[in-house]
Amino acid sequence: MSEPLICPRCESDKTGVLTRSPVAGVWEVYHCEECFFAWRSTEPDFITDPAKYNPEFKLNRTELEQVSVMPTVPPLIYRHDKT
Amino acid sequence: MAYHDLRSYLDLLVSEGQLLRLTDPVLPEPDIGAAACAVNKLGATAPALLFENIKGYTNATVVMNVHGSWCNHALMLGMPKNTPLKEQFHEFVRRYEAYPGKVEERDSAPWQEVVLEKDINLFDILPLFRLNHGDGGFYIDKAVTVSRDITDWENPNTQNVGLYHLQVKGPTRIGIQPVPAHDIAIHLRRAEELGKDLPVAICIGNDPLISTVGSMPILYDQSEYKMAGALAQEPYPVVRTQSTGLQVPWGSEIVLEGRILSRVREGEGPFGEFTGHYSGARRMPVIEITRVSHRKNPLFEHLYLGMPWTEIDYLMGVNTCAPLHVQLKSAFPEIQAVNALYTHGLVVIVSTKRRFGGFAKAVGTRILSTPHGLGYAKLVIVVDETIDPFNLPQVMWALSTKFNPEFDLVTVPGLSVLPLDPASQPAGITHKLVIDATTPLAPENHGHYSQELGNPVGTELWLERLHTMVSSGDLK
Repeated sequence: MSEPLICPRCESDKTGVLTRSPVAGVWEVYHCEECFFAWRSTEPDFITDPAKYNPEFKLNRTELEQVSVMPTVPPLIYRHDKT
Repeated sequence: MAYHDLRSYLDLLVSEGQLLRLTDPVLPEPDIGAAACAVNKLGATAPALLFENIKGYTNATVVMNVHGSWCNHALMLGMPKNTPLKEQFHEFVRRYEAYPGKVEERDSAPWQEVVLEKDINLFDILPLFRLNHGDGGFYIDKAVTVSRDITDWENPNTQNVGLYHLQVKGPTRIGIQPVPAHDIAIHLRRAEELGKDLPVAICIGNDPLISTVGSMPILYDQSEYKMAGALAQEPYPVVRTQSTGLQVPWGSEIVLEGRILSRVREGEGPFGEFTGHYSGARRMPVIEITRVSHRKNPLFEHLYLGMPWTEIDYLMGVNTCAPLHVQLKSAFPEIQAVNALYTHGLVVIVSTKRRFGGFAKAVGTRILSTPHGLGYAKLVIVVDETIDPFNLPQVMWALSTKFNPEFDLVTVPGLSVLPLDPASQPAGITHKLVIDATTPLAPENHGHYSQELGNPVGTELWLERLHTMVSSGDLK
């Protein structure tokens, strides 16, 4: 089983192994530190292969930083009570 | 008798022929999601699925579709599994109106058997998997998340227990989707206004009633545990968590404790949602998990959702109808029944008697200002009391013949709706529509309704007689 080099979704190389199968050698789960995508080595190639990943669902870090915020962050207020 | 944990309810499903054990090996993806999608296509009597042999795992058990049929819904309420839906609805409403039920605080729980506070890796602990191909990762989608208002900490009624989808992003990092109309968003706002983190407990693998109540649009100051007690008709057992002090279900399989990081938003999604569309990606809050407790060999309960109907439509069907029915009826005693089964009530059908011309339009617009209506009820159809709102051919007949667009449409512009509604523009804003498909009543005088058909004399007796003949085998 080879280490993944790039994220299938955003194609970043900042990826790592999250976990390995309790039964040795069956699968590994990887994640992308840039776009938070996670995938398993045994998934279909249209999930694991950057070239085959559905273009409608491709998403990179820059795009992810521009999507809407939900819920919005409220203004800070000062309270007199102990909380 | 109520079921205080998932295991005892699964035993019941086995004895009622409503649980299918899958012992042949399956891959986490795409097998579990595909099987759980497929089981919904078996119709309203579909069983739950128990996956006991998942490739790569030594002792993981995943259970899907626990709520995924009207049979299982009836069994959850302690009713015979073939109870008609409308009967289940009226029984649900009867118990709902007995709120508040009792809560029983216990000292210990089975989920305290195994505790982890160091070196936590959620991907090692939970058999996580991708449900739909476009999902941005592995999710927990059927846990109840418990939180309190940190400015009103001792108030048990505003403690919230809700189902929110959770993206497991790292060993201790989870993204959460608190839709602004949901109660947890109120707790989060109050904490974030003070720059403080919000303690949360995430409970996975539960008795069927708390999942139902957790996805139910009850009022902000109504306690989910008291509601579960009312629906169970016996005290609902809870236990306090050690690190957060939040009350969680006694019967949970797994409890994750942590906090929503104040004023942090991070990319999340997409996730295939109950709207039949993906959620899209958004920047949403982040939870840091600090403590994990679980039963030995815990059951991982998960839910398939996607193009309706799926398990989630059964889970949040009747429980959406009941509060709307009760809230509406408190204003208008003429209300007969409310059907909000479709997409959590984005469409609502109300059956009502009428006082005078224009009354049905008032009933329809009142739905829009109920708490649930703030995020749903994009289309409200009002029909006469003679129409069963759960009987769609009858509703279609009312629309076909009682409705005239010149007189019977009320459009209210620019209202709030859940941002997941793919038709909203911008996300979270939509026009809403009330269709009055009732018979006009004075001073309304449009249309010609003086010659509506009735059944020939004796039809009821013939119906009974034919039922008897058919069921006694006279067709042979």
